[in-house]
Amino acid sequence: MRFPHFPLGSAVCSLSLAFGLVAAPPVEAAAPGITAATLSGSTSTFNLSAAPSYTTQPDGMSIYSWGYGCTANSAASFAPAGINANAAGAKCPTMQVPGPTLIVNQGDTVTVTLTNNLPAAAGNTSILFPGFNVTASGGANGLLTKEAQVGGTVTYTFVANSVGTHAYYSGTQGDVQVEMGLYGAIIVLPTLSGGLPTGYSAWHLAQGANQPDTCTALNKKPARASNPAQPETDYRLAAAAYDNPGACYDREYLFQLSEVDPAIHQQVEAQKDQACTSSTGCMVVKTQPYHPVYYVVNGRSMPDDMDPNYVSTYPHQPYNGNPHMHPGELTLLRIIGQGHLQHPLHEHANHVRLLARDGNLLLTQSGDSKLAGPLLFTTTTTPGQAMDGIFQFTAKGLNWDVYGHGVKNGQRVDSANCYPDANGYYTTASSTPAATTADNYYEWCGDHLKPLESKPFGQVGEGGPVTLPDANIVVNGTWYGGSPYLGPDATTRAVGPTPIPPAGTVGNDPGSEAGYAYMWHSHNEREITTNNIFPGGMMMMMLVDPWVYPINEAN
Amino acid sequence: MDRAQFLGSAVVGVALVLLALPASGQSFRVQCPAGTQLHPAIIANDPAVPPANYAKYSKVTQWGRTDGLLNPTPAMANPHIKCQQLSGGDGYATMADGTQMYLFAFGPLSGLADIVKGAPATETAAVFNQNNLDGSGAALDVVQVGAPYPGYSFNGAIGLVPDVEVNAGSGPAGAPLDGHVDPRLVMDVGVMNGNQPAPLIVIDEGDELFLTLTNVGMIMRPDLFEQHTVHFHGYPNASAFYDGVPDASVAINIGGSFTYYYLAPEAGTYMWHCHISPPEHLQMGMVGQLYVRPRQNSVVGNLHSALAALQTDPATKCSGTDMLCSTQVPPVDNGVQANGRNYAYDDGDGSTAYDVEYPIQMMGFDPNFHFVGMTFNPESFTDTKDKYFLLNGRSYPDTVGGHECSGADDPVAACNPVAGALPAGAVVAGPMSTQASDGTAHFSQPMPTVVNIPVGGKALLRFSDLNVTEYHTLASLGIPMHVIGYNARLLRDQDGNNTDYYTNSISLGGGESVDVILDASPHDSLGAPLYPVGSKFYLYTPQLDHLSNDAENFGGMMTEVNICNSVDPTTKQCS
Repeated sequence: MRFPHFPLGSAVCSLSLAFGLVAAPPVEAAAPGITAATLSGSTSTFNLSAAPSYTTQPDGMSIYSWGYGCTANSAASFAPAGINANAAGAKCPTMQVPGPTLIVNQGDTVTVTLTNNLPAAAGNTSILFPGFNVTASGGANGLLTKEAQVGGTVTYTFVANSVGTHAYYSGTQGDVQVEMGLYGAIIVLPTLSGGLPTGYSAWHLAQGANQPDTCTALNKKPARASNPAQPETDYRLAAAAYDNPGACYDREYLFQLSEVDPAIHQQVEAQKDQACTSSTGCMVVKTQPYHPVYYVVNGRSMPDDMDPNYVSTYPHQPYNGNPHMHPGELTLLRIIGQGHLQHPLHEHANHVRLLARDGNLLLTQSGDSKLAGPLLFTTTTTPGQAMDGIFQFTAKGLNWDVYGHGVKNGQRVDSANCYPDANGYYTTASSTPAATTADNYYEWCGDHLKPLESKPFGQVGEGGPVTLPDANIVVNGTWYGGSPYLGPDATTRAVGPTPIPPAGTVGNDPGSEAGYAYMWHSHNEREITTNNIFPGGMMMMMLVDPWVYPINEAN
Repeated sequence: MDRAQFLGSAVVGVALVLLALPASGQSFRVQCPAGTQLHPAIIANDPAVPPANYAKYSKVTQWGRTDGLLNPTPAMANPHIKCQQLSGGDGYATMADGTQMYLFAFGPLSGLADIVKGAPATETAAVFNQNNLDGSGAALDVVQVGAPYPGYSFNGAIGLVPDVEVNAGSGPAGAPLDGHVDPRLVMDVGVMNGNQPAPLIVIDEGDELFLTLTNVGMIMRPDLFEQHTVHFHGYPNASAFYDGVPDASVAINIGGSFTYYYLAPEAGTYMWHCHISPPEHLQMGMVGQLYVRPRQNSVVGNLHSALAALQTDPATKCSGTDMLCSTQVPPVDNGVQANGRNYAYDDGDGSTAYDVEYPIQMMGFDPNFHFVGMTFNPESFTDTKDKYFLLNGRSYPDTVGGHECSGADDPVAACNPVAGALPAGAVVAGPMSTQASDGTAHFSQPMPTVVNIPVGGKALLRFSDLNVTEYHTLASLGIPMHVIGYNARLLRDQDGNNTDYYTNSISLGGGESVDVILDASPHDSLGAPLYPVGSKFYLYTPQLDHLSNDAENFGGMMTEVNICNSVDPTTKQCS
């Protein structure tokens, strides 16, 4: 079979994708993690284990791996609030890849006690927390830090004074232990006075009268949370990633990029049961030349990464990569390179404004707290480095109305209005303010009513610049609802009473959702494969869901 | 010629098969209106139409119109409407060690005369909409297998012929050029005309681009029913429909054409490629360059005022809550006036001015992958190891050569410098062709990468990287690299202060771009140019294993920088 030649949208691929998505109907995302087992004052205490188990890949491979986990096989509490409320329930097994995302507050004294439950042949293990001033106690002396001996513990203490996203990983025989899966993320939430960044009011005022609040809550835009028919809950960990008005956001996702070379895992598995009393273990593992065949986001390859967080299918790979957002929302991306290689992660649809690297906010020299980080359409990840960035999609400037508003045969095909605010969008700051439940909230008004199609099929505006092709000469993708337009209403109008086959899609139901799908993937394109099979690997489909469709991040 | 005729008959055979497919409309077609709602046609521009008849014309092209008006003629086309046609198919390129490399590739099906000169193949609607038939109804001689070639003169859309069905009975004379194409002409030129890199796309801010992809099939791989697409890599606020990801929109079948439509985004160096099975189609060669020139190029007077004036329109403002723009107005007006130079960005301070620009795409080819890609077997992705390291589809010494002059009659500009025509056999930086499996030479690699800079001037290097396996580093020996833009955005903070920097090397991964100015303007303490006429410098990769052409251990990712008395900004020729 000539599998690699099928486009992802073809029938063969659709089947494999359908399997994953049918098992998990809700949309889900967020950046879930655990908070301290004991939270007393400003102290966060975590009891982690390093333990072996098996992870899985979409080609059916089961891979012997090591990972961090919760010694108690659960955590006292999970964040964001509400992540517990899902059917599967948030979990912290004794082993997972990546390790539990540790969520702490700025200024917390963080204590991590690590128990080494690896096989004796592995020898000692440890954790490094780069970017923090760590005091290690207990355990045995190691090269980079103190280490937990087999069956023993070591304790690391530091003050979480570097806000933002950071990596943590094993500081012992890293070429083996990190490859085996001993890595994770720590997120430090900023101290926000009154829940808002310093200077937010003045900053917000400077945007213009009544401009939408970008910081207070998810429902500052259309009040979905207060609309019982379309509940949307706030799944942010904080109002802002940093104590800076430019770091406010509406949704957040954490992507840890890594690779797996099965040859290393097989060597370790073959030697795991040998008797050993050496602190450096008794394994002889050839780690070079490094030859990865799996390229993973949060420990999973596409399409597994688009399944829910904590889904039972992957008991030791709880975190997904499945970003969703509404037009206009500010989406925080927390991205960490956790493997051996650099990966050019390409975000389709728009640039990412880089906020910070390794927790260091990039600001202008003038002291006015404005952002100075570059705009990137490809965010290169480097081993060990974390970055935070803001992504936003508005569909501004296409010169056609993405909601398919317009005029056909002299009649309006839709009654929606678009009154621009100071920035040209239809918001609560518009001259005639948008209803917070408007389906075209945050529409770019400059293109309102502008038709795309010259003589459209169905009921959308006409007189536009292009003629869409005969349906016979194109193949529709899995995430394509049969029309160029955003939103179920527009899509239904565009495809007419009898939809253009195939109208039903797996990832993007034209009857209810009809969002825009974009591929976020490694642009070292060979890394969007799973053990030589395309599609797979380091790839996610990001969905811009129309406002009318609620995004439920609860798993 | 025998071989060429053989190919021609094979092509016709394929075309007939395609025509036999059930179709409720024409499969191959192009779209390029002379006027749109945004850019109305300029009726007075057609000298053949007397003013008394102006009222008979609409300013907007609408085929099948019922309002009794005539569509604007090509001569009336608004110059801000840009059109281009591409073939999606296969072809061959020549590596610097002589290896003939099989490609999945895009080729030019418009602007052929420009692209053979290394220029963009993006044309105005007036140029694009040209009849492929002569007065007798026969196809133009230039629409032939193997086109283009040095000296080629036709820039119109290949295949475009009058649509006699629209004006039945009036004959070709009265039939409109409404996008109807003759598939035979498209196949004659399009089959196996793949280029490396793919045809250059260049537009200006505010332009409308109608980019038609015509899938002619891969004649060397009849087992494949490959679709192709165009991904506008890096486009801000891209629409999913025109983003080219087959999963999220449509993929174009063999025998079909699809027209991508975009209003040009903010200025910058982007890139484009096919998004079908990217690990394979990119490695096999479906990669190209795309850049957008700024509005500032047409500014008269003070640059700062011109940028400030853009702030009154939400469509072009860069302030407030918009985190996604990088052309904030500088806090202080430095008084720089437009002086006829070109700029990389709407900078408002002249900091991105340059004299001559060079798109340079970095790429790597694994000959084993390409060999397997020519067979019926699946390629290995994890074992891919590039052995050719390319700048604009060539490695050294082809980056500074590639064309053998035929003598004084050679139409390649480099063969005819001001000092006099070069003798036959002289190797110059020019277009390359590769003999394909049909025995016919097909135009394969349009662009050398010789960087010629006028003394005291500045060259803008628009780097993009579409390697699918590893990162590339390129160093400048001599002139420092002034990095002014990254990922198609001016390096500038939200205060309006530039965050540009100097370096001697840049590193890019696949899918990244960077704008670098090589600034030859500094003078020494005596006032003489620091980089005098006749100086030669090099761009080369310090990744030493990338300085090879497969088994040849010298070559690879390397090229020359020359300081000239003057440089023609269009032909890039040194004098």
